[in-house]
Amino acid sequence: MAEKKDELIQIVGAENVIDDPATLDDYSKDSSFTPPKKPLLVVKPGNADDVQDIVKWANQTKTPLVPVSSGKPHFRGDTVPASDGAVIVDLSGMNRIIMMDRRNRVAIVEPGVTYSQLQPELAKEGMRLSMPLMPRASKSVLGGALEREPIMNPRYAWSLCEPLRCLETVMGNGEMFRTGELAGAGVSTSTREEAKLIPIEELMELRKKTQDTALYQYGPGQFNFHKLVSAAQGTMGIITWASLRCEVLPKVQKFFLVPSDKPDTLIDFASKLLRIRFHDEMLLFNASTLATALGEGADQIKSLQEQLPPWTLVLGITGRDILAEDRVAFLEADIKDFAQKAGVSLETAVPGATGEQVAEAILNPSTEPYWKLRNKGGFQDIFFLTTLSRAPEFVTAMSTLAEAARYPASDLGVYIQPTHMGTSCHVEFTLPFNPDDAGEVSRVQELYAKASEELSKQGAYYSRPYGIWADMAYSRNAKHTDVSKKLKGLFDPNSVLNPGKLCF
Amino acid sequence: MALSSEVYEALENIVGPDNITEEPATLDSYAYQWMAELVTNVTDGGKFFDRAEAVLMPGSAEDVQAIVKACNQHKLRFHVFSTGWGPWAASPAEGQILLDLRRMDKIIEIDEQNMFAVVEPYVVAAQLQAEAMKVGLNNHISGAGAGTSVLANACCFQGGGPDVIYFASPQDSILSIEWVTPEGDILQTGSLGSGLGWFCAEGPGPSTQGIIRGSLGGAGGWGVVTKIAIRLVHWPGPATLPIEGTVPSYQAALPEDQFKAAFPAFSDWQDFSDAIYRIYDSEIGYIAHRQFVMWGDELQAAFLNIVTDPTRQLCDLEELLEKPEIQKLTEEMQRNFQLIMVGMTPRDLEYQKKVLDQILKETGGWNISFVEKPDVQRYVLLFMLRLCFKNLNFTATGGFIDTYNSVATPDVWASGEIQAGKKLLKKYAGRIADAGDQAMGPIGGQGGGGVTGWEDFVFYDPFDPDSSKAAAEVSDEGDKLKAVQGRPPGGMLLGLARATHADQEARAQKLSKSPEYNWQRKIKETLDPNGVGSGNYFWGADTSKK
Repeated sequence: MAEKKDELIQIVGAENVIDDPATLDDYSKDSSFTPPKKPLLVVKPGNADDVQDIVKWANQTKTPLVPVSSGKPHFRGDTVPASDGAVIVDLSGMNRIIMMDRRNRVAIVEPGVTYSQLQPELAKEGMRLSMPLMPRASKSVLGGALEREPIMNPRYAWSLCEPLRCLETVMGNGEMFRTGELAGAGVSTSTREEAKLIPIEELMELRKKTQDTALYQYGPGQFNFHKLVSAAQGTMGIITWASLRCEVLPKVQKFFLVPSDKPDTLIDFASKLLRIRFHDEMLLFNASTLATALGEGADQIKSLQEQLPPWTLVLGITGRDILAEDRVAFLEADIKDFAQKAGVSLETAVPGATGEQVAEAILNPSTEPYWKLRNKGGFQDIFFLTTLSRAPEFVTAMSTLAEAARYPASDLGVYIQPTHMGTSCHVEFTLPFNPDDAGEVSRVQELYAKASEELSKQGAYYSRPYGIWADMAYSRNAKHTDVSKKLKGLFDPNSVLNPGKLCF
Repeated sequence: MALSSEVYEALENIVGPDNITEEPATLDSYAYQWMAELVTNVTDGGKFFDRAEAVLMPGSAEDVQAIVKACNQHKLRFHVFSTGWGPWAASPAEGQILLDLRRMDKIIEIDEQNMFAVVEPYVVAAQLQAEAMKVGLNNHISGAGAGTSVLANACCFQGGGPDVIYFASPQDSILSIEWVTPEGDILQTGSLGSGLGWFCAEGPGPSTQGIIRGSLGGAGGWGVVTKIAIRLVHWPGPATLPIEGTVPSYQAALPEDQFKAAFPAFSDWQDFSDAIYRIYDSEIGYIAHRQFVMWGDELQAAFLNIVTDPTRQLCDLEELLEKPEIQKLTEEMQRNFQLIMVGMTPRDLEYQKKVLDQILKETGGWNISFVEKPDVQRYVLLFMLRLCFKNLNFTATGGFIDTYNSVATPDVWASGEIQAGKKLLKKYAGRIADAGDQAMGPIGGQGGGGVTGWEDFVFYDPFDPDSSKAAAEVSDEGDKLKAVQGRPPGGMLLGLARATHADQEARAQKLSKSPEYNWQRKIKETLDPNGVGSGNYFWGADTSKK
């Protein structure tokens, strides 16, 4: 260990190699049910060269690396080492916003940039980033994009990888590679000389001369590498920067709440709007999740939950640029007509919440403590992809499973997020629990395992398979697993990047 | 090198005697492709690329799988195409067999509620569109036209087009894929592989879909995609396009309160660029493309008159060009593009029209009044919504390629590149059919905008050796001029045609310094260990082994 520590100090300096027991203990576990494992060291690179040197060193010493971008708390087990002797590569210090370009609506950021850091800076430029629902303040923007977190505006989900565009990665074999139109030295030709990876700032200056930017994500060549590092939990490469497609900051926005006793009615209505793209933010909550998003503590959450409708579709509409007010006005008029035909009502407030309150909550990163912790102090999520038309089946199935496990039905949180322009949707069940009550923890752990398995059997697609979902997901597709392993063998031949995760 | 009887029989047993041939005339019909006369190192200026050893027409994924396994067993290389438009459909080298997927032409499913279709390789865009419109949906149509394969455009080649600004890049619209790997295994990506239906493209975990296509697909050299699910978009028009008129003036009368064609035009290129940014930001438009300039900015007005007037013929061109009103229209249209606004509701269209008016006011632009004529509206709407006029690319001279292309941010329109491209074409005037600025391309080359660009069309006479030579020269000169600026090559079509039919070893040496092609070599060695895929999945030579 001492030898490894000294070698890493040579790369990043003594102040960036940490081995004090408290810090190692911190990184050895998270808030999920993933078994803890203490890392050997924590190393904090300051730039891409450091990252590359660390990966090369790991290959030489056969040391597992666990990349971590976001700050605490973590909830999914992906940053907990699965192998002995792992070194945590904490990228949170690489937090530069490298570029923001309003004209082309693109930003380039390092992995340590958080949503709470980026959104205010983008706003100054007249932009914002499509965000997942209420990420914690310390959540890495790149982490969210790379892990294909669903964004709240489905009509901007041109693919499930949005808003991710080009990126720079240090692959598991230590090779640095850039993707999309930023591949190589900024000249995307198939015949160019060996790419010299000039610093990204210089590259972007050069690209202004040819009216290029960083939005074309495909390739280079005949494969889309950005897809191979998406939802990879750091197993394929360590990303050192990425470009992100941004939105125009709205000039006018209105939020409506559409209440219902059951989700089916709202899903039919949502499907209609998705089809014609008459929406911006579109999310479906049950009372438990909406109360938790709005409440500041357990008492308030309980009170809100009693007031709120059983189900609420949250619908944001915006005017962003020219004739912003006109856009909101025509959308509101048309959507009201559709709502009437669908037998639902478009409200600016429902008992317990106004549209403005909901907008204030969901359009910003979570305040502290993280919103899902506010009810009982702990929680476990189960999330997967399905189609919007099938989502109600899973709600029924999960409710039945929770009931069978004597889990309080009123605590079960449901969040349904249409994505990829409405062709699929993210369904997320949240099981709040008191982490200090061993019995409750045990019951939730059991329910989580059983429900995950049962929902998988019923068709839940764990496209981002964390923890126990990995075996369920990969066992259903043997050929994909085989090809994934072969690709992993190419990009990370010594399996130094987060071994033990996914099918690796 | 003919196939041995053992190999031929093995293949015949898979597809049946009616679906395999090694008859020379039939094989030559596959070798006869557009641009052949330009790839002189292969064709010596002739009209035929290399002849395949046999052509097979599999009828199912199982047939394809069996053929690919047989190819692995016999170390036989195969090349595959769907609708096969262009030199990348021909066998890239001798000694290979061709798989013609025309029997796999089924629309398997249209999921109306979740907005996607599942199709086989030979389903063409117009076929899917006709079925999708019946349930109020529509599909992307590649710039290559309505007669080309939906699947190939999305997975196997380039596939962009005029509607991408609203419909998204075709590769972003791919959901699950069924792919016969070069070893003959069937890989189902995304949700399909888990037996859960076609709705999701990605995962589980890292997406293996990422190796099936990148900026470009494998162009017939990288396994065989046998089915895909493709995302559809809403269609607020009638269940059937109401097509009327006579060739070439086919038209479609669509509800005026939901469909509107506009030709925004500008007095300088900076205004043109600024307007594109404003369109991106305000999110209007169903289709946005600089289309009719493909005939050249000097001829587009006259050509539009011919194609929208059934009493006119191509021979009227010179007469029309003398008319003052055509000359005025030519001047007005110099810097214009086509914007098709489709209102999901009448209020939506009214809003989009107001936004366009505002953009034109801000940028000093105008809408060409000619397009307000009912006949022209109907012609342009049909042209742009169905893209069923691709024969027009060949109308002027019988052959076309491109040069001096640019794909970048909208500012590229104001960078002087249009004028430089025009100057380049003028240099070759007489040997090619120069008609001024021939920069045709998408206003929004990605969903929501982002990149834009053009192809500078080069019309040449494929039966005139000097004209063909000039076409190749102008393409090469465009490449050189672009290289000086640090831009990608300008002649995409000829460049790809040459690369497709290049000597593979020489090409591999050339690509050996490009990291992506070294990764592609490693991926190919891993997933195609017998090297039976044709050369169209490119790779760089392993210089360490040298």
